[in-house]
Amino acid sequence: MTLNVGTAAVRADGLSRRYGAIRALDEVGLALERGITGLLGPNGAGKTTLLSILATVSEPDAGSVSVFGLDPRDAAQRVEIRRRLGYLPQELGFHRHFTVAAFLDYVAILKEITDRRRRAAEVARVLAAAGLEGRARTRIRALSGGLRQRLGIAQALLGDPDLLILDEPTAGLDPEQRLRFRELLSGLPGNPVIVLSTHQADDIAAICPRVVVLLQGRVRFSGTPAELAATAAGRVWAAGERDAGAHLSWRGGDGRWRHVGDQPPPGAELVAPTVEDGYLLLSHAAGAR
Amino acid sequence: MTAAGGGPALSGTGAGHAPAGLTARSRAPRLRTVLALATVEASLLVRSVLALAGLLAGAAVIWLLARSAQPLWWRADWEIGAGQFVLGMAVLVSAQLAAGRPRRDAMAGLYASFPATAGTRTLAHLAGLAGAVPASLLLLGAAAAVIEVRGAIGAPSIAVLAGGLLLVIAAGAAGIAIGTRFAHPLAGVLGAVALFSTSATSHLASGGGIWLLPWEILQDQLGSLPGRLAGYPPAGAHALELAGLAVLAGVVALAVAAGRARPRAWLAAAGVAAVAVICLAGALQLRPVPAAGLNHLVSEVADPASAQRCASAGQVRYCLYPGFGSLLPSLEAPVNQVLAHLPARPARPLTVRQVVPLDLDSTLTHGHPGLEVSRWDARLQRAPGSDGAAPASAIYLPVGDWPAAGGQLADAHFDLALAAAEWAAGLPGTGGIFNSSESVQCVPLDQAREAVAIWLAILATRPPAGELQAGLGGLETGRGFHGVQARGTMVPTWNYPGEGGSYVTPPGGGAEDTAAGYLLANAMTSLPQQKVSQVLRSAWGRWLNWRTTDAQLAAALGIRMPGFRLPPPLRPGFTPPPGTTAGNADQPGPQTPVCAS
Repeated sequence: MTLNVGTAAVRADGLSRRYGAIRALDEVGLALERGITGLLGPNGAGKTTLLSILATVSEPDAGSVSVFGLDPRDAAQRVEIRRRLGYLPQELGFHRHFTVAAFLDYVAILKEITDRRRRAAEVARVLAAAGLEGRARTRIRALSGGLRQRLGIAQALLGDPDLLILDEPTAGLDPEQRLRFRELLSGLPGNPVIVLSTHQADDIAAICPRVVVLLQGRVRFSGTPAELAATAAGRVWAAGERDAGAHLSWRGGDGRWRHVGDQPPPGAELVAPTVEDGYLLLSHAAGAR
Repeated sequence: MTAAGGGPALSGTGAGHAPAGLTARSRAPRLRTVLALATVEASLLVRSVLALAGLLAGAAVIWLLARSAQPLWWRADWEIGAGQFVLGMAVLVSAQLAAGRPRRDAMAGLYASFPATAGTRTLAHLAGLAGAVPASLLLLGAAAAVIEVRGAIGAPSIAVLAGGLLLVIAAGAAGIAIGTRFAHPLAGVLGAVALFSTSATSHLASGGGIWLLPWEILQDQLGSLPGRLAGYPPAGAHALELAGLAVLAGVVALAVAAGRARPRAWLAAAGVAAVAVICLAGALQLRPVPAAGLNHLVSEVADPASAQRCASAGQVRYCLYPGFGSLLPSLEAPVNQVLAHLPARPARPLTVRQVVPLDLDSTLTHGHPGLEVSRWDARLQRAPGSDGAAPASAIYLPVGDWPAAGGQLADAHFDLALAAAEWAAGLPGTGGIFNSSESVQCVPLDQAREAVAIWLAILATRPPAGELQAGLGGLETGRGFHGVQARGTMVPTWNYPGEGGSYVTPPGGGAEDTAAGYLLANAMTSLPQQKVSQVLRSAWGRWLNWRTTDAQLAAALGIRMPGFRLPPPLRPGFTPPPGTTAGNADQPGPQTPVCAS
């Protein structure tokens, strides 16, 4: 896959990565602009691999990445990329004996925020942004899973990164926390490049102007959520009975069946498709290949 | 955004290009990051429970090593080093835990996304070892203060004390090297165990090779020396080796952290320099102790009079090695008390002299010709006290054995008082020689002068009654007893307080005190002192005569002769000693155990 754009904040071209016999990424190309991009895909689609490459944590077997015009293959440029990066890995451990504030302070130093006052202000800022102000002195081992996830998000926000890579940031968050997270991302200053992977299609629909669907190591869709939803136009319908010809069917709260499939039966009652519908159809199509 | 195969392309806002001079800019914040991280790591190390435990354990080790004897700085500074060794093991574990923290806590991926590289972090960990310095200095300062307060003799060596600090730093650097490669917490513990085992098994090394382990302090004779011996152990070279080891460990840690990254010339150069320093230090440590120093030492030991300074008080002369003058009041006090209670001064003078129980082992003599070593050995064999005995007019004090304080000092005072009293009473010693069956030539059995000597020592130092009584070994209750064989006769004896401490070598090697003698002396202490003194003064010459019996003294004092029952069974052929309920002997015969002089 090759790009056909000239300038983008973050570009990936022909990225491939294998883990033994498994092809995690297969010539992936991306061009990311400032703003939020959602990365959708099932488990094992290569989302985490892609994000770790964009975060300069791992290297592709083939292909290239450019972040703000910098090449991560060059050591000095890689460091420069990292200076502008905020990253939340999918499975983040913690120094559990640290307090929340001490952990953030430590990470801030690792992000080269060496001025003590600036660091303290930055820690206070991200604590407030993540809603952890009252937990500053709490040891991490005493935090719940949701609070730890918020702490992970907080550390990624340190230093006002230009590029924010969040691997499943809403995992473990309760509904209110997810809404707060949406609010937090929407209010970030400086219009950074944000890439977040998630299984939550409604998160994508709610806050992402752009969405990329990654299936079996390949980009299957790249566009707006509306465009993704539009891919399912005319292929989502409602009926009183289950339709065996649909790929997926489920009974809604009103007792009627909602069907997603390639071909609705004649005279079917078509309904407006959602991002989730579009994703499901893409996923099914990829699985059929 | 676009991807081949469809989708809209997004215009490129916010894109940038690699700026020129990036390398210089990248390095600029590195030092500040290292310093900031090092500050945090140092603070964590200072507050580490492990480091605190190491500090306490180190202090305990120093206390255990130094608590008993009068502190000699040429030994005490190495004992402080032993405490630093323990602290160093704790710092090693702590540093390994810190260096392995990202991987152990499943944060390696996140850490890899930070601009602070693994090398920067490792450098910060190494710099953060400054956090171990306060603990090391605290240990050093507290130990030095206690040692000084306890009346230390000599002066500390800066090289030795600095070596202790370097040992802690080197151990910490080793911990970081381990933690950079192995994140599991057991790795640090194993590292500490390995470090300890090298110390515990260093006796396998011989001669000067032992000094190649700078943390080794136990295989030495420092405590027996009358002063500091240049080059023994080689403190400066030790410090140099430890500094080299610290740098080498740091280089290894940085190399491991760099991983597949391009090797840096400065790192390789530092590694080579560290190895060179270690080799140089090793070569320096293997050098023989200077012959001039050993010659001087042997002369000081073989002929103490040539080196010692003597002070006379009445009939008693105290001869001590230079620097030991502060011991004089502690020695004079019990002797003067004995002299004060004597009805008459003895005719012959007494010399209280320090001796050195030196054994020229290979740590001292390595590298010197065998002939030279034989000459030194021959001279040392003729040294005073080398046979464990002292002349009838001398009390020997082995250097390094005199206690500093507490119960042991009280015991030493009693031992010195008893030795002085035995000299005053003219009790013959055993010559300091026992054969394998605890047999002696004679005992002052049923001789009044023995009870008089014991009474004088008790009067001079007032030891606790329970401690005195314990010396009977259960004889008073019939449950057991201490005893020696003298010419085929088993004689119940009394172990005086501190007898096993070897604080004092009494005149003639000391008499074997009998249980009967102690029991009579103990009975004498229950009488008014004035009454006893009067009785002794009235016939002092008689009481010192070996023929005068315990019973005669008891009769003169108007008390019953204390008796005791020997516990059965005694060995076949046992001849009951005089003074016991099991039998009596009026006169010493050819087989009598009694000292007839």
